[in-house]
Parts: sequence; structure tokens; C-alpha cells
Amino acid sequence: MSRPAQLEIPAAMAADRPTSTAIESQRPVLEAIGLEMSYRMGSVTVPALRGVDLEVLEGEFLSITGSSGSGKSTLLHIIGGLLSPTGGKIFVRGEEMTSLNDSRRTELRRRDIGFVFQRFNLFPTLSVEENLRLAERIHNGGSPRHAGNAALRAELLRLLGLEGKSARKPRELSGGEQQRVALARAVINRPAIVLADEPTGNLDSSSSELVLGMLKKLNQELGQTIVMITHDPDAAAYSMRTIHMKDGRIDRVTRLQ
Amino acid sequence: MDPLVLANIADRPTRAAASVFGVAIGIVLIVVTSGLVRGMLGSTAEREGALGAELLFQPPGSLGAGLTTTPLSLPVAYAGALAQLDGVRATTPVGRYVRSGAGGLGFELVEGIEFEPRSGYESYAAITGMRVVEGRAPVSDREIVIDRQRAADGGASVGSSLELFGRRFTVVGIFEPEVGARIKLPLASLQELLGTEGKCSSVLIKTSSPEVQEAVAARVDEAFPGNQIIYTRDIPSFVAKGMPSLNVFLDVVMGLATAISGLVVLLAMYTAVSARTREIGILKSLGASRRFIVTIIEKEALTISTLGIVVGLVLSLAVGASISHWTQLIVKLDPLAAIKAGWVVLLSGALGALYPSLQAAKQDAVEALSHE
Repeated sequence: MSRPAQLEIPAAMAADRPTSTAIESQRPVLEAIGLEMSYRMGSVTVPALRGVDLEVLEGEFLSITGSSGSGKSTLLHIIGGLLSPTGGKIFVRGEEMTSLNDSRRTELRRRDIGFVFQRFNLFPTLSVEENLRLAERIHNGGSPRHAGNAALRAELLRLLGLEGKSARKPRELSGGEQQRVALARAVINRPAIVLADEPTGNLDSSSSELVLGMLKKLNQELGQTIVMITHDPDAAAYSMRTIHMKDGRIDRVTRLQ
Repeated sequence: MDPLVLANIADRPTRAAASVFGVAIGIVLIVVTSGLVRGMLGSTAEREGALGAELLFQPPGSLGAGLTTTPLSLPVAYAGALAQLDGVRATTPVGRYVRSGAGGLGFELVEGIEFEPRSGYESYAAITGMRVVEGRAPVSDREIVIDRQRAADGGASVGSSLELFGRRFTVVGIFEPEVGARIKLPLASLQELLGTEGKCSSVLIKTSSPEVQEAVAARVDEAFPGNQIIYTRDIPSFVAKGMPSLNVFLDVVMGLATAISGLVVLLAMYTAVSARTREIGILKSLGASRRFIVTIIEKEALTISTLGIVVGLVLSLAVGASISHWTQLIVKLDPLAAIKAGWVVLLSGALGALYPSLQAAKQDAVEALSHE
């Protein structure tokens, strides 16, 4: 696997972002207050979140750990606006997401959230370049005529060690490369928060290390706020703060840096 | 063109090709059927309009001009009586019979005419200008003449035989120009075959000049009230719009073809949406609006429909040419009908894709993303 020689943040992305050293002085980019979520399974109601309070500061790299069923994925989906909680409130950049209708919540997601999934979730029919352009296109209103920022795409691909692979389809890439494309797609529109759901869950150790290093670098150099779900304590060690969830509640918080 | 739409179509070439073909069938159905009706009626109208006579006299109860005339119920004596009227230059009786076309396809008109003038009225040729250009006119009961088109369609020539009314007839001549029925036999033969001696279907009336035809028509009506008098100049338009049931038939064909195209697109897009559930989840995670998702699916449906229309039009040309070449049917493709068919099929494609696209837009993002 090719490893990028340097991780230099493109200048176009670096403006107006806090560095990790300035985290303490930043306002929260995301606040969750008393989040509750329960699913109905037939006649039984299964609680997934039981009153979660969470604050994520601008420029923070937060990891959420916990066993299966602890509620961490549900929390991530609610933060990302893919699910509506059954109780509580979420504020993204001060705007209450939970009071928004589906259309406005989608707009907020388009503007402020970038996702990285365990299974990469790239469009299999599109090339690397087209996957990035699609994200730009959706961010900019959906017109296919929107050309996006070609220089930024090239810079990001170079940064992520994907030079010369822009015309490849996802199936022609390794898992690590696909996840790096997904990472590029998540940050290309400069979202307020990148939500990463087990981003290394399908990768071998060297690819995992590479992806985590890039997340760290994006956070440090770009000031990109990242919330990452992981089972892996080694992965969590890349973040500044770790929240451990258990039975739908925050069980403990560990500040790493 | 939208790269996402193109990529989706290219990703499932067999499904896309099947959908395009399905839409194309709808187009072929509409364009060829209307072309067939137009061709057959147009050809009939042209030949009926070239009779050379100004007026057509036929008995009451006849459905219309020429083609649908009740066969041989008018006494031939009318021809002589009509010839006596002021302003009438000549008359000739014509017997008509509609038989099923070769191979059971369509229909074919057979005319019984007078090849020689009779006492009181003229020959058919004297009025219409028809002449036998190859061979000779019939002189016996089992002889016929045909026009060049019929000779070409049926592979017949002077000396060959044709089966009519369950009997063999010998082609003894080829006539020109194309006027009336393509097969002509002596009126007496037709009367004998149908058991209607002394009867005909209609009488052609040639006036002393075209300018007096209205006055002659009035005189005919006065002398023989209750019969039908048709201006031959009106026959083409009678034929074109004189068969409401054909228009209903064409509307039914268009409705069926539209429904087929719409269903093909609906099924294609429904299966596409099911197969791409996860990708719809990805779009939602990227912040794609419902409108964006509906638009992408609609664009794909419209692209498939457009390709189907193009393929359908090309197939229609081929099918129309084949029908005209291999059968006696005439297909005249109508550009207006093709444009109308294109719009209708495009609309049905868009409507067909609406349900799956709305279903896709409504999908739960988390469920879609976890779809295998």
C-alpha cells in the first residue's frame, strides 16, 4: 500500500479553522442535551439512548467507544441527522437540529456534516474523482453543471496518497484506499463535523494506522472537528477525548490529550 | 448529461437494454399501427379520388364512400337512367366486394366493372381513363386484370393465377393508372359469383364539366330521392376521417402502448431503486434532498425512455418497410404520429418512474445504509 510522503493540508481548506491547541477557547460546535432514543420492536419498546448529554468543541477529535448495543451508532446517526431522537435536543453550530423538519435537517447535514462509514459507502458506479464531485455537487445545490473545485480535489487526493487513481472505480482500489477516498469525500466541503463510524473496522492494521493518522492530521492541521466511533482502544488513542458508552448512557469520559 | 445517471445506466446494461426495448415496443405499436391505418386509408383514398367521375351514386344505407359500400344491391338500370339526366356526360356501374387480404392480413377490394360500353352507359375505362397496358382485358368469367402494385405485392404477372371466392382466376392484363380496386373482373362475373345478377354497388357519374357537378347532383337527388350522392372530390377526406371506429381503435392502441411503456419504466426503476437502496442511503448521508433523489431517478427514466423512443422509431421504420415489402399492406409512417407517440411515451415514462422515485426519496437513511 502506498503511504503518502507528507500530509500537508490544502490551503483552500485550512483558512478560518482553529488548531488543536486552541480547542479550550472554542465554543461547542455540537451540543446534545438529554438525548433519548427508543425503538419499537413489535409490542416491545427497546431503549437505545437514555438521556445522553454531550458537548463537542470546535476542532475537537472525540472518540466514542462501547460494546455492541451500547447506543454509540444510534448516537452518531442522531448527531448526523439521519435519525430523529425520541427525546432531547441537539444543537449544531447553535442551531437546534431536533426542531427542524426533514428538509431543513437534510440541508443542515449537507452543510455541516461529513460521514465516513465502516463500509466506505462509495458509489460503485462512479470513479474516485466522480465520487468527490458528487459530494461537491450535492453540497452546492445538486446541479450536474457544478464543476466543483478541481484543484482541491487533486490536492486532497495527493494528500491522501491517491495520486493517479482519480479515474479508478472503488472496486479497483484496496480497502484502505477506498476509505481514504471516503475521507476525502467527507472533508471536501469543509463540514463543521466529520462523523466517522468505525472507519477502520474493515481495514488491516497498516491501513487503519494510515487512515487514523490522516484523521488526526486533518484535525490538527485543518482544525476539523471529528467524532469517531470505534471498538479499538488503539484507534481511540488518536483522539483527544474518549467517551465510553454503556446501556445507552455515557459511562465514563477519558481525556487523552 | 448527468454522470450519475449515465453511470447507473451503464452499470446494468442488460436491464437498461431490456427497458429501452420495452419502451421501443410501445413506440413501434403506436407508430406502425397508425402508419398502417394511414397507409391503407391513404392508398384507398388516392385511388378512390382518381376515379375520373365527379359523382358517385349509391343506394341508401351505404355506410360511406367506396370501401364500405353495401355490395351489389343497386339495380344496374340506374346507370342508364342517370345517363339521361341533364349535365351528365356518361355513367358506368361498379360492383364492389371486400375480401380478406392475402395471408389473412387486412382486406382487399375487388371490383366488377364493365370493360366494354353497354346500351345506355359507358365502360369503366371511358370514365376513369383506366387502360390495360400489358396483356389484355378479360373476355371470360375467370379472368381478371390487376394494377402494377398488386402485381408487385402478390408476385403476380400476366398468365399467373389468383384465388378469389374459392376459385382460380387467371391474370390476363395489367392496368394503369391505379384507380379504384387493384383487382378488377367483369361485372357480370362478380354478379354471378355473388348471386346478384343485374345489380351493382354504385354508379360513377361523369358530368359534362366539373363546374356543373353541384347542379347535376341536385338533379340526381330530385330524380332519385333517398339515394346517396357523393362528390368524388370529398372521398379522400371521407376516408381519412370517415371511420370513427378506426380512430377509437388507434386511441386504444395508443393507450395500451402508453401503459406498456409506463409499466416497463415503472418496473425498471422499481427494481433499480431496490437494487440501489444502499446508494440512496449514501446520497442521503451526503445531504441529498428528496428532490435531488427524485430528479436523479426521473432523469434515468427519461434517458431510458428517450433511448427507447429513438430505438422504437428506427424499429418502426424497419417494421413498416418489412410489412410493405412482404405483405400487401401499406404502411405510411406519419411524422406527427411519431412525435405524438414520443411525447406520450416520454410522459408515461416520467409517470412510471414517479412512484419508485418517491419511494426512494422517502427511504429511511439508516435502514438504507445498512441494506446488504
